[in-house]
Amino acid sequence: MIAESFSFPEINSILRWQDFFTSFNKIALIAVAAALIGIVVFLLAGRKDPMVAPKGVRNLAETSVEFIENGIVMQTMGKDGLGWTPFLLSLFIFIYLCNVPGIIPLLQMPATARMAIPMFLALLVWVIYNGVGFKHQGIKYLTNTIWPPGVPVALKPLVGVIEFISNIIVRPFSLTVRLFANMLAGHILLVTFALLTQSLITAETMQAFLKPMAVLPFFMLVFLTAFEVLVAFLQAYIFTILTAVYIGGSTHPEH
Amino acid sequence: MHSAVVHLHVVHGHGSTVSVVLAPRAGDEGTEEEAHSETVSKDPGPIVPEMKELAWGAGSFIVLALLMRFFLFPKLKKGMDARYHGIRSSHDNADAERAAARAEVAEYEAQLAGIKAEAAKIVDAARVTLEAERQTTLAEVNARLAEQRAAATAQAEAVRAAAQSQIHAAVSDVAGRAGELATGRKPGADVVDRVVSEVMAR
Repeated sequence: MIAESFSFPEINSILRWQDFFTSFNKIALIAVAAALIGIVVFLLAGRKDPMVAPKGVRNLAETSVEFIENGIVMQTMGKDGLGWTPFLLSLFIFIYLCNVPGIIPLLQMPATARMAIPMFLALLVWVIYNGVGFKHQGIKYLTNTIWPPGVPVALKPLVGVIEFISNIIVRPFSLTVRLFANMLAGHILLVTFALLTQSLITAETMQAFLKPMAVLPFFMLVFLTAFEVLVAFLQAYIFTILTAVYIGGSTHPEH
Repeated sequence: MHSAVVHLHVVHGHGSTVSVVLAPRAGDEGTEEEAHSETVSKDPGPIVPEMKELAWGAGSFIVLALLMRFFLFPKLKKGMDARYHGIRSSHDNADAERAAARAEVAEYEAQLAGIKAEAAKIVDAARVTLEAERQTTLAEVNARLAEQRAAATAQAEAVRAAAQSQIHAAVSDVAGRAGELATGRKPGADVVDRVVSEVMAR
């Protein structure tokens, strides 16, 4: 009986969602909501009087802009990279708002715990930083990418292979998997401890022992929920700052 | 060849799972375990991207990114820059006013220092003049005092000499008389004078 109570649901049942209507499920809802929230926040912020001290929604928007500019763009790309702020801002906001539903009651599913969105974003970033590389360096981008300046001639074959695999193949893969796997792992952990808590509370045998034990997974659930708040922000930040680093590296071959 | 019975399982809750169970017809060879071992899930793996999620995610992000790039961010940034520019101008104005005030204070302090130096010079000159006048006056007073002192001394000396002469005469008279009474003979006046002079000189 206890073993039955502890049985974990089939993995797809906690990841795949029924369509609300044709081809529109919870993941799509979260993605659309993330974009809409970002748009609405910046629309409302843009309507406030810019000449007075910002507060409320304008303060939120300006803080996020300054965070991207000072915390990411200036640190990785310098002043020349400020033109990328809108894209990086969109990326950060979208990923963060797709991550956060993992801890919002009723939603409780990060859209980035599914492969589609991280993969799309990583491929988009891949296209962009390679496009930027070719635009700024021309065909030399390829040679600069696989043979960074200063590499001894003897090492060029080996370094070339490593850098090509690292920069061209692994980067989009690592970007995708880092975000997807972190959010999926967090989601599965939350589900695990939630189900364990429920199983212990509703156990039909050894109730006197098992019910109090439910406190332990419950505390873990609370702790992990708080931890996921941090993870949601951190993963959005990491994805965005790596994007900035890749674009900055494509713009300046010496990087 | 086995014929198969197909069971469709739909997982309740979130999402559908279709399981195809191949079971042998009654009388056919094979066990129930074999049938379970051939259970095939038509669900894609949990890491396989779904096209509908990809499409909605991509569409949403592209809309957000385009609006952010061409409308939302420029408007917000324009406002931020205008405010920063206003604040910077206010700071610059404040700095300029502070510099002007400091220049005025410096000028005032310079003028004050000049006036103080001039005042000190005047005071010093006055002090020198006063000192000279004081010295002159003091010398005059001292001279007058010395003159008066000399006159007083001469007058006192004359009075003392007169008194001494009177005393000498009186003592000579008394001494002459006393000698006359003692010896019955009047001593000579020059002797008496000499004796009295010697006694008074001691």
